[in-house]
Amino acid sequence: MSGPVVKLLMRRLLTVIPTLILVSLLLFCVLRLLPVDVAAMSLPPNATNDEIAAMRIEMGLDLPLIQQYGIWFGDMIRGDFGTSIHFRTAVSTLVLDTLPATIELALMAMGFATVFGVLGGLWLFYARGGAVEVGLDLGSVALLSIPEFLWALFFMLLFGVSLDLLPFIGRLGSGVARPETITGFLLIDSLLSGNMATFMDALRHMILPSAALGLSAAPPIMRILRSSLMDVYQEDYIHQARQRGISEGRILIRHALKNAFLPTLSLMGVQFGFLFGGTLLVEIIFSYPGMGNLMVDAIRNADLPIIQTVGLTYCVMVLLISIVVDVLYLVLNPKLREA
Amino acid sequence: MTNLNRRDILQLLGIGVAGAALPGSAVLAQAGRDMVTIAWPSDVPSWDPNQRFSPDAQSLFKLVFDQPVGQNPDLSLTPSLMTEWSLAEDGLSLSFTLRDDVTFHNGAPMTAEDVRYTFYERIKAGHKLDIANSWRHVTDIEVISPTSGVFRFGSPAPTAPQWLAFMGSYVVPKAYMEEVGVDGFRDAPIGTGPYKLVDYQMNSRLVFERNENYWGGVPEIKTITVDVIKDTSARVAAVQSGQADLTINIPVRETQRLDKTEGLTGEINAITRVILLQMRHDGEFAEQKLRLAAHHAIDKAAISKAFYGGAAVPLSVVSPPGTPGYVEGYEFAYDPEKSKELLAEAGFSADNPAKFKMAATNGHFPSDYDIARALLQMWKKVGIEVELEVIEYAKYFELNRGHKLPAATLYSWDNATGDPEIFAGYLLNPKMPFSSWKAEKPGDEVLRLFGEPDYAKRIAGYQALNREATEMGATIPLLQSVQTLVRKSDLDYRLYRNGWVLGNSMKWG
Repeated sequence: MSGPVVKLLMRRLLTVIPTLILVSLLLFCVLRLLPVDVAAMSLPPNATNDEIAAMRIEMGLDLPLIQQYGIWFGDMIRGDFGTSIHFRTAVSTLVLDTLPATIELALMAMGFATVFGVLGGLWLFYARGGAVEVGLDLGSVALLSIPEFLWALFFMLLFGVSLDLLPFIGRLGSGVARPETITGFLLIDSLLSGNMATFMDALRHMILPSAALGLSAAPPIMRILRSSLMDVYQEDYIHQARQRGISEGRILIRHALKNAFLPTLSLMGVQFGFLFGGTLLVEIIFSYPGMGNLMVDAIRNADLPIIQTVGLTYCVMVLLISIVVDVLYLVLNPKLREA
Repeated sequence: MTNLNRRDILQLLGIGVAGAALPGSAVLAQAGRDMVTIAWPSDVPSWDPNQRFSPDAQSLFKLVFDQPVGQNPDLSLTPSLMTEWSLAEDGLSLSFTLRDDVTFHNGAPMTAEDVRYTFYERIKAGHKLDIANSWRHVTDIEVISPTSGVFRFGSPAPTAPQWLAFMGSYVVPKAYMEEVGVDGFRDAPIGTGPYKLVDYQMNSRLVFERNENYWGGVPEIKTITVDVIKDTSARVAAVQSGQADLTINIPVRETQRLDKTEGLTGEINAITRVILLQMRHDGEFAEQKLRLAAHHAIDKAAISKAFYGGAAVPLSVVSPPGTPGYVEGYEFAYDPEKSKELLAEAGFSADNPAKFKMAATNGHFPSDYDIARALLQMWKKVGIEVELEVIEYAKYFELNRGHKLPAATLYSWDNATGDPEIFAGYLLNPKMPFSSWKAEKPGDEVLRLFGEPDYAKRIAGYQALNREATEMGATIPLLQSVQTLVRKSDLDYRLYRNGWVLGNSMKWG
């Protein structure tokens, strides 16, 4: 199995490079079209026109666009993503400080989406042909139409304010000591430092934002799983299994679900990409110090170096996710391995 | 059909929501009389307090750092790190005496060398600092002794004392910053302020511990936690749920609602922020009668009532009541009939309406876009048709620099000092990017007042200028803006007229 996987990895990694170059070029050019004077933004409002002109030269904004891109790209290759206009700090530091929080949140949200989506899909399939299916179907459409930020506000008001069950501000409660930063992932770092109280507190803080993100991503998974199961149930091997006297539950879990899960897996990869995008508003609502929160600040302040880098980071994340999904696909599907 | 029953499905679903049933963490319960949690709408741009001008960050900076000159709640200047200061008659120098009992959080004494470093050496060294622009006229700071020195200016600086109490003017430790570097300082900032920063999670949480050696008296509250909550609804939820003890800048209606909630107190406080229409002297608004007609048509009290619960004070000059530049007893009347008369004199009528363009932000300050739309309706009633263009705040200065703002721009202006130079002086100075009015009149008078070192003459000059600017339509002042604040009723704090909410002024009742 490792041979095809390695080949696939090599092939995908080779396509990643031109994709990233293309995306970086696109990002750079689109952002330069914005009517924003980056030099003026980097100075206080009472800066003189001469000071702004000098800053423009210092930032290389007087150079031809392609030359500017070349400098930016060259610096980027060397790990220098520039300095934030607003924070006046290395962009790489800002992104690296916030990325683990977003990844952690997105992973947990994907966990929620998977659980809700798979179980919901099974329920939809189980209830097919009856009045319950119609109700569930309508319910899933309704869920699909509710964006993540509405879930966020709803959960915050219900579980945070009315029921007072869960915290909804930040990553940790007041007075809870942060563990030493080892990986940047709070859950992992608190486990590595053996601090279970911090781990549990961090987990509790992640429930509402990840549920808000996950719930908005779950309905498509639910529906595609139901459709896939329906297709699989038309296959001969399902009928043969029944004739062999295997229980319906076992047929579903052991035989049908594995095959029906492949298209669902592809969709989950796509949904994971969307989840990353969804973190922008959810992180703001829950004061979650992730990359989405940083991006919103950057957009408000027209902080182009951050916008470019965060945009590129999102792109890298999506590409990585698609590679992981392809590998999983290969692992789960013997036909593909043989091909 | 499958043999899975409803119970199986529900059990499976139960796994998904198991997280919600996690046991409550005891560490969440932090109710204590020695700590306060504040829900604040924004973070500091960085922990270098000289680096970026950010009005909302001042209350946070003032926990860790001190300014040479302080302000009382009524905004009058008061000794802080400086016990005395004296501006020379020609405004070209300012001598000062420092306290001799101030130490930074690392125990090092604060001296005149630190003042020189902050306001002169850092700027000369080319550190990227916003204060480099406000103190660019400093030619030297002479250190006479550890507790005394003299600022030297290249041109008269009559508002230097006010600037010593204004944005960005925080004394930083020379030796420590040189030792750890600017980046190191931002990671582990120390100041002379009433609190030490002990934990900082950017865009999320700031934790401050009381400075037990604070020269200004040990604060009542031991620990202050600031949760950065940018979303308004989340701030409301935080204070309503008790997860925060105090918050600011939430909608007026929510403030009024929470004020009726047991245990909470809502306040709508007028602050030194003005909302005005920035006017252009040329183009569609070159005709003075048209500008004045536009002003007479605005019912400011109705706007205040509609969007600020009536708490925003209608203004006739660009200085709010209680500040030195305010003109007592002067009122520019709301008079739609007068507006129509002026329009008729200028050759306009309902059939031939005056037309111009206006810019406004949407979300930069509370109800900005709503106010702009209300203005459009008021103007329409007298025969003025306005095309509204929504701009990003970030675009404002760029458009103004390029002289590309439309005839009028709805704008909000903060001035924590209350000094008229930083109101009318900046807003009508034709050489500054804050003014869209570039005409000689009253521009020349503004430039003269910038060099007037005599305080009484300067203030009298600005009062006259404020009135003149309104009467010639160089500006249309609208309202003194408000700051909403909701707190637990037993949490006391000192109300500053510039909107500062200082942790060291808080105590539980």
